[in-house]
Amino acid sequence: MKNILLFIAFLLIVSSIGCVPKQMYYWGNYSETLYAFKKNSNDETLLKHMQELNKIVEESNKRNKRVPPGVYGELGYLSFKSNKAKEAIEYFNLEKQLYPESTILMDRLIKKSEASLDIDDENNQTSSEPDKL
Amino acid sequence: MHKYNVCINILIVVCLTMLLSSCVSNKMKTKGELFPLLYEETPLSILVLPPMNQSTAADAKEYYSTTIQEPLSFTGYYTFPYVVTAEILKMEGIYDAELLTNIPLVKFREYFGADAVLFTTIKKWDLSYLILASNLTISIDCLLKSTHSDQILWRYNGTIVVDLSGGDTGGGIAGLIAKAIVTAINTAAADYVPYARVANYRALNSMPFGKYHDQFNMDREQKIIDQSKDIEKKEEVAQE
Repeated sequence: MKNILLFIAFLLIVSSIGCVPKQMYYWGNYSETLYAFKKNSNDETLLKHMQELNKIVEESNKRNKRVPPGVYGELGYLSFKSNKAKEAIEYFNLEKQLYPESTILMDRLIKKSEASLDIDDENNQTSSEPDKL
Repeated sequence: MHKYNVCINILIVVCLTMLLSSCVSNKMKTKGELFPLLYEETPLSILVLPPMNQSTAADAKEYYSTTIQEPLSFTGYYTFPYVVTAEILKMEGIYDAELLTNIPLVKFREYFGADAVLFTTIKKWDLSYLILASNLTISIDCLLKSTHSDQILWRYNGTIVVDLSGGDTGGGIAGLIAKAIVTAINTAAADYVPYARVANYRALNSMPFGKYHDQFNMDREQKIIDQSKDIEKKEEVAQE
């Protein structure tokens, strides 16, 4: 009798674990690092937040989850602002592939990043010209 | 005699259930009944606009805005990265609530590709100081509007009240002083952000699921508390 009761208890526990809904996304400490960055914006808090975003991408892939909406887009934007336009374009494209709903905004941001790449190229050319002369 | 008792018991149980269910049915409605337009339009993407701050805390706007992206994503819609869109709006000079409400919604569809925009209003974001107790209250009004039809697709309020007084520390004057100190410490350390996230979850729980949720279009019969009467009342008070 005791065994049967234990078995029933075991079954109940197992089934209740099965009932816990699987989280759709992995967000890590996203709002904590973003909050810290907003509260005190500097290179250190920005770096921490970008590291957290990268961790969200890694962990999502590890757990076979879709990267949450906006994460690639945010990584792209922060890269763009750190003068890494090439990286930014890659991230914007990833967001677009994963979430086609983002296409209009991502295309806009890609265009902007490409424009800043062109400006960089021009600057490099003009800065290298004095050497030739 | 035994049979009689059983009958009475069953009768009591039946009466109680009827009583309870009648109470519940007054306040509960299905998502399908409350938000039919959202099911009709099935927007795919939501743009969160900078919050309007009606609370007394000036910094609430910045901090609250860090708490919405995560809870909103779990409803299953594509949510634009708030950090990015807020900065774009700021650069365009439309970060303030008054200006935002004047912009035709179709503009948000053209510029961002958003099917719907989420207006959030911080109604309360404060601590009420009492000598021996303190409460933290966060109250957020959410309103989802279509950029296709300009109609309200969904609206709900999420409120959380947290008692920060740190429990009973025993009787006597020493106990009272200890309690007052605990209150002061808890208040200083009170971090609004995790609670703001809870308030968001409370509001967003009532939103019909979007395309990326595995129960998309299957939650019409889910029952939630009907707030529409409260909203009407509030609006009447506001008009007076």
